Amino acid sequence: MSILEELQDIFRDIFDDEELVISEETSAADIDDWDSLVNIQLMVTICKHFDVRMTTQEISGFENVGDIVDCIKGKIG
Amino acid sequence: MLNDTYDATLILNEAMKYARKLKKQKTEESVEPEKTKIAILGSYSIQFFRIILQYMLHKEGIVTDVYEGDYNGIDMALLDPESEFYKFQADVVIILPYHEDVKTLPNPFEQTESIDKKIDSVISHYADSWKRINDRMNCHILQANFVIPNLTSLGILESNYEFSYTHFLKKINLLLEEKRASNVTIIDMDQMASRVGKNNWFDHSAYFMNKAGFSMDHMPYAVKTFVDAIKALRGKIRKCLVLDLDNTLWGGVVAECNYDGILLDPNQAEGEAYRAFQQYILNLRKRGVILAVCSKNDEPVAKEPFEKNENMILHLSDISCFTANWNDKVSNIKLIARELNIGTDSMVFVDDNPAEREIVRQFMPEVLVVDLPEDVAYYRTALEEAGAFDWIQITKDDISRTEYYVEGKKREDFLMSFSDYDDYLQALEMEGNVYDLDESNIPRFVQLINKSNQFNLRTRRYNEAEIRSMISDDQYALLFVKIKDRFSDYGLISCVILKKVGMDCFIDTWLMSCRVLKRKIENMVCERIRAVANEWQCTSIIGEYIPTAKNGMVSKLYEELGFESVDTHICKTSEESRIYVLKTDSDNKLNYYIKHVD
Repeated sequence: MSILEELQDIFRDIFDDEELVISEETSAADIDDWDSLVNIQLMVTICKHFDVRMTTQEISGFENVGDIVDCIKGKIG
Repeated sequence: MLNDTYDATLILNEAMKYARKLKKQKTEESVEPEKTKIAILGSYSIQFFRIILQYMLHKEGIVTDVYEGDYNGIDMALLDPESEFYKFQADVVIILPYHEDVKTLPNPFEQTESIDKKIDSVISHYADSWKRINDRMNCHILQANFVIPNLTSLGILESNYEFSYTHFLKKINLLLEEKRASNVTIIDMDQMASRVGKNNWFDHSAYFMNKAGFSMDHMPYAVKTFVDAIKALRGKIRKCLVLDLDNTLWGGVVAECNYDGILLDPNQAEGEAYRAFQQYILNLRKRGVILAVCSKNDEPVAKEPFEKNENMILHLSDISCFTANWNDKVSNIKLIARELNIGTDSMVFVDDNPAEREIVRQFMPEVLVVDLPEDVAYYRTALEEAGAFDWIQITKDDISRTEYYVEGKKREDFLMSFSDYDDYLQALEMEGNVYDLDESNIPRFVQLINKSNQFNLRTRRYNEAEIRSMISDDQYALLFVKIKDRFSDYGLISCVILKKVGMDCFIDTWLMSCRVLKRKIENMVCERIRAVANEWQCTSIIGEYIPTAKNGMVSKLYEELGFESVDTHICKTSEESRIYVLKTDSDNKLNYYIKHVD
């Protein structure tokens, strides 16, 4: 499974929407429930899932799903 | 539970789903019975704390309505008498401060008096806050202390100068404990953080990004302490520890290696570890936890180490109920509950054998079963982390109660020597009376109101503030009973709250500790209730029985006391409850054998 596909599973679970499809371009503006609270939940869940730590700079710099994918890629190689 | 047994992410995700469900329900408007109202005020972001607290309480069967204060809005909420916080009228207020709240810090080599002044101003700020809350609502306050940060400027000297930040905060924490008001419980977050390690506790990244006070990884662990406190406030406390023997209190099987062959030698690591566990248990007994033994053994063999092995720290006199036989443990635990007259949901079971634990768990889900780890060195930690005996207060009666149970056995033997029950009651030489509630008896009165389940007609729970406001209201009479007999002094064992409603005297609350059942104490109480009703010039006394899962024993109480059942829907609290009336002029003499003392 690609990182994006794994992320999609996490997103589907968190937003409780089995039909949800995300792409690298998806951002908080595209998903209704994606508020600051859910954003924290997403980051905690993603870090746990991929067993990585993200820095303050990295998280603050995320603009869309693609940025998250790149960050994870850089960490798990 | 040990912190690492929590999957914090899993709980977070479940809690978020529950929060979403609640939100939907709210829009559909739901009427739910008896919600516990909790207000949370914090100096850091408390949204996840709220969501996880609500979820974990829901898991415990406690439905909540939560007021979440604004970020950093503690003072705003407290200072404005018109604030939403006061309108909410919480049952429980949780206050979560952050070390950065304390702005006026000591300067290097500042004089002691001057530093103390700064400390005093922090403490009086909290004392004022508690008072403000108490003046406007009847609630209990769970006040977290300061988690002393893991960043210092003095390094190794941090604990050597009184002007250091660490020293300053430590002193503040200590004074918070000393100055706490009676309806305030200090929650030691600093200790909690130390247990997981402060480098793990703080998530500085999350603080800068979202103002998280501590790491999400430890949120469930931290919240659980508050859940336990809230359960205790609602009367859900555990008071009896049921212990296995072989490989639990000592190493080895006594039936095989004899009383002197079991592992209990302080000069040997394993033996010392078992002794340390016994010492931990003895400390629990000293604070009022009742101990019972439940062992698959022949009784004389099981008792031998207690009687003859001098390395034993626990003695037979510490054990209030000793069962050693070959029956299954579920039956034995039920037997212990009956003998001690306590509910099985107030019991904690400790056994090294996973199979025994599983059976108890399956057949008695209400019993808290502690998983002992394989390593005996960690038995204490497992019991500690279970948070089994988190009470909201300890009274002197708790401490001596463990004695009563031991005395109770002697009393039973004494009873065997009588053929007539009334002769027995007379021979007990009971002394006591019904008294008006006064200041010194309030803590025990409140405690009993919040934990009695069996002999309890209406099972209303009141906190200390509510009781105080009733005392100052002349429409109410608050009575309690103290009793002693030739064996022991029971202290305060029964509470009554009467309310004058027009020409009626309504029995709002009537409960009694199960330690003194079948003593005809209820007859003495009934006599006093009539006296109060007459003083109030009431024509009738109204009693209500609200059935619960546990109070079946008093379903016939009013009938036995000569009350008449009335078929009415007026003033019934629930569909199942029953209303009884006793005319104050009716001829109704009840006997009892209690010598009145002032």
